[in-house]
Amino acid sequence: MAEVQAKSQRQMLIRHRGRGAQVRIYLGKMLRMFIYQNDWKVLPMAALIAGLVGMVIRKRMFLTMEGTLMGAFAMVCVCIWNGCFNSIQVICRERDVIKREHRSGMHISSYIVSHMLYQALLCLAQTVVTLYVTQLVGVQYPWDGLVTPLFPLDFMISMFLITYASDMMSLWVSTLAKNTTTAMTIMPFVLIFQLVFSGGMLSLPAWTETLTHFTISNPGLKVIAAQADTNNRPYDSIASMVGKMGDSEIGGTFTVGQILDILQAEDKPIVAELRAKELGKVMTLGELKNALESSATFDTLKNEQLLEGFTVEDVLSAVDKAGLLEKYGDTQIVGSFTIGEAVDFLASNPDVQSRRDQEISVHTTVGKLLDLAGADRVKAFLEEKAAAVNYNPDYDCTEENITSYWLRLATFVLVFALLSMITLEFIDKDKR
Amino acid sequence: MLVVQILLVIFARSTSLSDIILSALFMAGIWRIFEKSGIKGWWALIPGAREYQLACCAGRESEGPVYSLASAGSIALQVISLLVSFNSTDVSTVAIMIVIVSLVLWLVSFIYSIRVYAGLIDVYGVRKRWMWLWALPYTSFIPALLWGFGKKYQPAWKVEDIRTEMARLATHGSASVMSDGLTVNLTERTATEFFKKKVLLRDIHMAIPQGHMVLLLGGSGAGKTTYLNAINGYEKAKAEVLLNGTDLYKHYKKMQYEVGFVPQSEMMRGKDTVLNTLMDAARLRLPKEVSSEQRKARVNEVMEIFGLLPVKNNLVEKLSGGQKKRLSISMEFISNPSLFILDEPDSGLDGVMARELFEQLRKIADTGKIVIVITHTPDRVIDLFDDVIVLAKDSARTGRLAYYGSIKEARRFFGRDKMEQIVKSVNRKEEGGDGLADEFVLKYAKEVA
Repeated sequence: MAEVQAKSQRQMLIRHRGRGAQVRIYLGKMLRMFIYQNDWKVLPMAALIAGLVGMVIRKRMFLTMEGTLMGAFAMVCVCIWNGCFNSIQVICRERDVIKREHRSGMHISSYIVSHMLYQALLCLAQTVVTLYVTQLVGVQYPWDGLVTPLFPLDFMISMFLITYASDMMSLWVSTLAKNTTTAMTIMPFVLIFQLVFSGGMLSLPAWTETLTHFTISNPGLKVIAAQADTNNRPYDSIASMVGKMGDSEIGGTFTVGQILDILQAEDKPIVAELRAKELGKVMTLGELKNALESSATFDTLKNEQLLEGFTVEDVLSAVDKAGLLEKYGDTQIVGSFTIGEAVDFLASNPDVQSRRDQEISVHTTVGKLLDLAGADRVKAFLEEKAAAVNYNPDYDCTEENITSYWLRLATFVLVFALLSMITLEFIDKDKR
Repeated sequence: MLVVQILLVIFARSTSLSDIILSALFMAGIWRIFEKSGIKGWWALIPGAREYQLACCAGRESEGPVYSLASAGSIALQVISLLVSFNSTDVSTVAIMIVIVSLVLWLVSFIYSIRVYAGLIDVYGVRKRWMWLWALPYTSFIPALLWGFGKKYQPAWKVEDIRTEMARLATHGSASVMSDGLTVNLTERTATEFFKKKVLLRDIHMAIPQGHMVLLLGGSGAGKTTYLNAINGYEKAKAEVLLNGTDLYKHYKKMQYEVGFVPQSEMMRGKDTVLNTLMDAARLRLPKEVSSEQRKARVNEVMEIFGLLPVKNNLVEKLSGGQKKRLSISMEFISNPSLFILDEPDSGLDGVMARELFEQLRKIADTGKIVIVITHTPDRVIDLFDDVIVLAKDSARTGRLAYYGSIKEARRFFGRDKMEQIVKSVNRKEEGGDGLADEFVLKYAKEVA
């Protein structure tokens, strides 16, 4: 009896392996599982997905604004997909084993930390594979980095953090799910939530903006878009669309009265601006036209649209065609005046009034108009304006932006890991 | 006015007069059905609780929580809709969400109501076609009134008054502390489910000396596994468990290595090898001071004892049923525990293999350890056991100690030769047993006292 009690007392003094040592045990076990349980399959899968996505985005990523944004979204999807499928089943498939090992002295924290380390290695490998494969299929990555000296390294950190955060999120789902079937049922909802509420690709109602703060895809999309310098890429969709419409015919038949009404419609800002131009010289109507056409501002003015499809130049040409200049070309206009005053003068003239119903036909194509205005200038103008409209300060390629997104992603990693630990420690504790 | 509307929605689910009348008739019928089943009738007036009690009457208590929550949630959303007044043109996101969630809750509630009504139909022993009347929203008051007030409709059984039964079957006692064995003084082991405290085990007191191999018997649901989990300290009960004089609950972190628990299913990673599985088990269970060589030696020793050396490099999933069992036992045996608990170690094994396994367990007990084993085929190996624990589910549906003592005494106590007959005697009648659990529980308590 004394011997038994002594053994029992000895037992109280014995020390077993602590949390750190247990992490090593489980990490070793997981690395074995990488070989035996076919976890290695996630690497060729990542390569396959990267190849498919890379082929789609290679021609526009890092070249145009919209192409870069779409490419960034595709890359985020790849990362989230990879991360989610790495760990969605890892805990729920061995709940019974965990229960048994916990009973035998396993610390839940050690178990989760070993998963964190193992999954980090897996995510890193997937990130390297994804970058390599996308580069292989033709995605043109820049070379100079912003936070680190190399862009690929910057980009790799971002992709790793997105993948890893998703991985930890799935690990948490795996701790919540009772079995693999439940986990795989939850998975699509998690993915849809992440993609819909990324806040970048779909326009969402204002009240849902708060939800975007809870998605990994939001900082993920922002960090990739920022690193790819999306804001400084040309937005070429509209210009190329206009270019493709070169043969489309535009034009119509107008009366003199309609044209005069248009030129008198001061509520339209562009007309008001035109009308306010000072000519300020004593001249004839013919001289006015010549002066207008040779003025420095004419180049910008002539392309201003007065009516759907009609520019200032079209109007002047219509006035010409109507023979107004032949009749009134020598009429002197005295004093300083504006274009608006000139138009009003014309409009009040009884002879012009009598010809208000005279029809003038204008027929042209988009291409001809573009040629007239200078196709390259129009394209540059459209690209610049569209880029300005689509500018998003979140996508500014600044070190501050990028590091703040990295920090948000790293926070997600820690929060989900902590949640996994808490869930596994407390959920179902009574029935464990 | 709004308050009245809200009250009508809560109690009648509608504000229209016809619906209110139908709901009132339905509740009146349910009130009487509850009374017939031994439940207080006024529960019929409380939405949410009504559904749970109805599930209890139907013998579908497990469906009750979901049915109850879905119904209560559905009502809550109706109230929210009333409070947030939406006009016909306002298709706001909140309104859409409320409609979607309401539809989901309604569907869940409907499905679970079908399950509960099916149970009620069984309890009242009527034809299945009654389901149509129960399931349709405007006709459910008809079966409720007919079954509630009709004398010819009587439930096959009543919801038991657990508290009265528990008081009737209360026993008291305690086992004196054994300094070289296992002393269990378990007062109560409870679990909470849907805000309801359930007593799973009660009044179990025993002292098992070292070197004894003990058989744990009991019908399904008697609480055998719960009891084992309680005595190994993993799922704590209101109890005092002393192993060789040391309180297992107070010093669980240290003492957990003194208890080896072999679960019913293997619970091992199939893709790991036998050697690696045992090495990891050794790293986890053996003291920190044990050197790598000593650890390897211990693993080899255990593999030799349990005949696993020839398959040490095989994957666990490739092992036969018997080998998996032996590996599972080896994992626990590696730390050389004083108390060895096995939950159906012979399941899936043929007679010869099971006998060999139990003989091995006997050898372990002979080294001075306590071995407690659950098995459903005890008679083929009963000669290897010293004692038997018989757990039984009493009429309050609580696991109770019907007997603990030697095998010979157990035969006398129950008046039966075979262990399987003993289990049959304490099993409930609806489970094909003799329904004598209460008698034996009280008899044993009296004898011990």
